[in-house]
Amino acid sequence: MRFVWSVICLLLLSSTELFAIKADTTASVFEQLKSKLERIEDYTADVKVNIDVSFMKVPPLTGKLYYKAPDKMKLERKGGISILPKKNMSFTLNTVFPEGGVTVIDAGEDMIGGKQLKVIKVIPDDDKSDIILTKVWIDEQRILALRTETTTRDGGTVKMNLEFGKYADLALPDKITVFLDVKEFKIPKGVTMDYDAGQTVSTKKEKDAKPKKGEITINYLNYEINKGISDDIFAENE
Amino acid sequence: MLRLELKKIFSRPRTYISFGIITAIIFIIQLAMYADGSSFVGFALQGVGEQFDIQGNVMNGYLVTYLILQSLLVQVPLLIALVAGDVVAGEANMGTLRLLLTKPVSRVHVIWVKYVSSLVYAFTLLLWLAIVGLGASVLIFGTGDMINLKSDAFIMLLEDDILWRYVAAFCFAALAMATVAALAVFMSVLADNSVGPIIGTMGVIVVLTIFTNLELPLFNLVKPYLFTTHMIAWKGFFDVPVPYDAIGYSAIVLVAYIILFIVSSMVIFNKKDILS
Repeated sequence: MRFVWSVICLLLLSSTELFAIKADTTASVFEQLKSKLERIEDYTADVKVNIDVSFMKVPPLTGKLYYKAPDKMKLERKGGISILPKKNMSFTLNTVFPEGGVTVIDAGEDMIGGKQLKVIKVIPDDDKSDIILTKVWIDEQRILALRTETTTRDGGTVKMNLEFGKYADLALPDKITVFLDVKEFKIPKGVTMDYDAGQTVSTKKEKDAKPKKGEITINYLNYEINKGISDDIFAENE
Repeated sequence: MLRLELKKIFSRPRTYISFGIITAIIFIIQLAMYADGSSFVGFALQGVGEQFDIQGNVMNGYLVTYLILQSLLVQVPLLIALVAGDVVAGEANMGTLRLLLTKPVSRVHVIWVKYVSSLVYAFTLLLWLAIVGLGASVLIFGTGDMINLKSDAFIMLLEDDILWRYVAAFCFAALAMATVAALAVFMSVLADNSVGPIIGTMGVIVVLTIFTNLELPLFNLVKPYLFTTHMIAWKGFFDVPVPYDAIGYSAIVLVAYIILFIVSSMVIFNKKDILS
């Protein structure tokens, strides 16, 4: 009997140890990822942005994307209009994690593109944080986040897929695809005085076919990293 | 004879009232947009602005011109009616119609010349609208990408893809104004004083425009047959992709109305007993 109890105690101790090691590993992977991201203080990049939202007809936009840590971002298009998702849907990995203290939980593993990825959940310690939960799919070998899923208090859930190439060492992606929920867009016809002769049927079909999901793709053509960016660049945004 | 008709139109002070009214309205819209354009943009884009940050010179000359056209292309037909409604009835009222018909030209030719002279006036007015509306707005507000809001869509056009759309839109607007001029000439043939045709044309346009803009199932049945529904097809050139089929159909409808009004005018005028 004493032997049986000893075995049970030993098993319990070892499993607790295992959990602790696993939690340590998860936290360590997250910390490595975060420290990699924190090396980027600012960057500028020539980008090509494609916006595919059911109610928006926007041509591919080319421009210069400015980023300054921790959360300043601006798309500049020489004299043109730029459209970017709101701040809580930022394209930068640094801003998809909650600020301040966080709890990191191991959420198992997942296969994406034939690659085994570690999935972790990041929960803020602060109850008032705008980000409620962030789920990250991490390539443990390269310490790169290939997918994130961020749930914010008022912005719904934003999914982001990242593809890395030339700047993988700095955790800067070559391509980001953001999937977001979009609200319905409607203005009374009496206000816009639409011309819809002969278009009514085709427009309805188009509306029915497309779900109310948005997809924004940014292709980064090149980067200039940590060269210093003045805050004045972002003045219009603020 | 055309030269004489044009001289009659452009020698009357009332002809220039329209140019003055258009200039004043455009100036007021430009002033309002210059002073408080950002609030207007914020209000107009609030549905999109909740989800997206839109930066840059949104309130540029191209958008201001679009707003001017949207406001004015309802009023311009009324100004065209002011002159085109007077071309036959005005002569009847002044007692010069019989004198005019003593010339060795057919009555059909008289109506044709009257209509062409009305067209010259309408196109001059439209050209003035283009110069003051587009030209001055671009000078004041600059150029840039253009945002066009439909009831269910947000459309963005790149700067280098806009000017041809304005050229096409003004060409289509000319066709729409030609329809209004044809209606006014038709009304003018029916009356012996100029007030009736002018008010009659304005009334028809106002009532049909209300039918066009009201979203009621009963009106939806007749909308495709109203020329006012097709007069706003110039907006189609600011859509992506441009609905060429629908615009072409609208152009056919407007041309059909022009033929109907002018042929009817000719038939009625041919049979009319001219007593004045």
